Amino acid sequence: MSEMTWQQLRDLDCGPVRDLGEAWKAHAEAMAEQTERVRADVIEGHLGPDHFESDTADLVREQLGLTADRFDDDLSDYATVRMATTLMETADALEAEQRELGELIPLIESHGLEIEGGPGGYDVGMTGDLKWSIARLDPPQWLCDRVGVSKPDGVLDPARLESLFNAADLIASASGLADQYGDWLRAIMSRAHDADDEAAAAMSAMRENPPGLPPRLGASYDDLVDDYRSGLSGEAAEELEAIAGGDAELSPEQVSQWWEGLSEAEREALIERHPEWVGPVDGIPVDDRDTANRAWLDERIEALEPGEETRDDLIRLRDRITDADGSPASSGETGQPYCLLGFGTEGSGQAIVSIGDPDAADNVNTYVPGTGGGLAGATGLLDRAESMAFDADRYGTGEETATVMWMGYDAPDDLLEAADDKWAREGSEGLESFTRGLRATGEGDPAELTLTGHSYGSTMVGTAASTEGVEADNVVFVGSPGVGTDTASALGVDEDDVWATRNDQDVIRYGMVHGTDPTSAEFGGNEFRSDSPRENSEWWRFWEAPIGNHSSYWDEENEISRRNQSLIVTGQGSGVR
Amino acid sequence: MTEPTETPPASAYTQAEVYAPMEAEVADLVEALPDFPGFERRSWAELPCTHDGMRVPGYTNVELRYRLSIPDSESDLVRQRYTDIARTRWADRGLEITADLETDLGHRVDRELVAVRDDGVKLWYSVARYAALMVQSGPVPTSGETEIEYIPPAGGITPGGPGDKVSRYFPEGIPAEPATPFESPEHYENDL
Repeated sequence: MSEMTWQQLRDLDCGPVRDLGEAWKAHAEAMAEQTERVRADVIEGHLGPDHFESDTADLVREQLGLTADRFDDDLSDYATVRMATTLMETADALEAEQRELGELIPLIESHGLEIEGGPGGYDVGMTGDLKWSIARLDPPQWLCDRVGVSKPDGVLDPARLESLFNAADLIASASGLADQYGDWLRAIMSRAHDADDEAAAAMSAMRENPPGLPPRLGASYDDLVDDYRSGLSGEAAEELEAIAGGDAELSPEQVSQWWEGLSEAEREALIERHPEWVGPVDGIPVDDRDTANRAWLDERIEALEPGEETRDDLIRLRDRITDADGSPASSGETGQPYCLLGFGTEGSGQAIVSIGDPDAADNVNTYVPGTGGGLAGATGLLDRAESMAFDADRYGTGEETATVMWMGYDAPDDLLEAADDKWAREGSEGLESFTRGLRATGEGDPAELTLTGHSYGSTMVGTAASTEGVEADNVVFVGSPGVGTDTASALGVDEDDVWATRNDQDVIRYGMVHGTDPTSAEFGGNEFRSDSPRENSEWWRFWEAPIGNHSSYWDEENEISRRNQSLIVTGQGSGVR
Repeated sequence: MTEPTETPPASAYTQAEVYAPMEAEVADLVEALPDFPGFERRSWAELPCTHDGMRVPGYTNVELRYRLSIPDSESDLVRQRYTDIARTRWADRGLEITADLETDLGHRVDRELVAVRDDGVKLWYSVARYAALMVQSGPVPTSGETEIEYIPPAGGITPGGPGDKVSRYFPEGIPAEPATPFESPEHYENDL
């Protein structure tokens, strides 16, 4: 585990790390040119069939070709995918956190606060000067503004009395700000440690022994080369298995490069023979994942006994995304294809389905459902995602928007379980990986990525953003019980792109158990409006409206909520009310 | 998973029953729209009914969605005049107008008009990149697929044609002879 301190991160010069990555990349490209020369000039040229025609010459050309292929593969796998990309990704990630730290530290210092607890400490508290200024009834201007009292001007200023009467509020306000900055600092360091650990894992996961080379020419060559060839064909499958199982320690960006480095035939063979490894891997293009997941879904359904609940859930999912003739279906709302990006039966079950191809889209909205989400309710949640897709299409600007229903974590089953943040913590790495996969496989200009979390789904989004870091241009919290942090600053996304809504009847306002209310001014970010259209069926059934309005954000009568969400997702935030 | 202990308020319709009166609402408004260019697409959608944040099994929200083409949606007739006509027509019928919004986005002006009937069915005329008329049922008990009868679309869409996006409910194909052909009554006051 990384033990990097905030001082080390602050002082770190990422330039050499990036330069080293660039050097490895350039080296690999130069060496790849050499192998091409071996193929063109030697195998096809000087030693080509036009000059040397014999069985031995054929063997020599074959062996040399295999050696060149081996060299190419290793250059790609080690020098490019692992060394160069790891170093550059690490430099990018650490510099991003360094920039945030560079923003945060002056704020801490300018408010009379300090980072406490030595090199490993991430708590922020009041300096002695700040405490003394409050004690002598002369608090700084910023604190007077926060509390809403006048700044005393001189010893005899009556405003000193006001400060005396409001001393408790002044201390609480300063402590509150210190706590928020502490949250922000912890989020920065959590993401920096994550990047550091990922880099270390990727490097250490490189195989200790060099891969085998083609057999030497000689009497046993013919026998050995067959073994070598079959070993080669199994190598990609072994690598994929390690990637899918998490043993390869490749980031989604690296997986994307690795996948691109395979031949078309290798990719097709892996999809056909190992759909269970291809389907769930972030960094493999959506089209290939969809093909693999559909095949794996068929296999899973076949393997389960008729009548098993999970089998019925899987069949419902398949029916929803498949036409009657067995071909992939498109949404009747927008005409966009359904893409199956993952499914699972562990815990409550998982399902990740996109309406539209995220790789080709200009905007991607990933909707993360909350309590009670799972495989059994996947088609219902997909209905909601489909409404989001419909709204994004009609409120948008004509750009393509893909809407993903990401039920990729084991969500709490009920409100009691939802009081625990472990579901969000356990799902954070998966959500981080998914968003990085979207970025890695996206085609053309980078898409506008939005994460929309509803209810506990907002806790899931906020926790992933603050602890692991997510690829997102906007985050949207709908009916949130708290997002695992007390400040929008800790999310790693510009505060201007953090949005939250809660209608005035939503029962969730009484259950803010996972941090500061994200719709509050104290949290930061933007609040947008949603109505509360659900009413009590009888006057005495007073609980119906608060409970109903927790899930009313996509109701027809909540057109303001649907509209606002669509404008954010389609990059028209200026029209949000 | 914990089962919810409450069910939504009693509904006047089941899912299978609600399509006809909702489709009638679309036909009713279309009849009042002068020089109506015809819808481009009709779809039937569902939204989950939830309680305590969890889906209520056995209930659904049906939403009918009719949209005009983008070129047709750019005219003042569709963006402004149809909004005014819908407002007047729904208000004259005594429906409560619950939202009447106009938003200037700079490159276009969007409008939202929502009315609610006494039985909870909601009507929504929305003008954005394209104009759409939507009708939402509120929570209704779900029906089996075989119980849901095909209702031909209103507003110029060819039944079963490329703009009629309801095949999800009719996997065997759109019935050639609809089970309950829709005939527009002279008035709807006693039916709605």
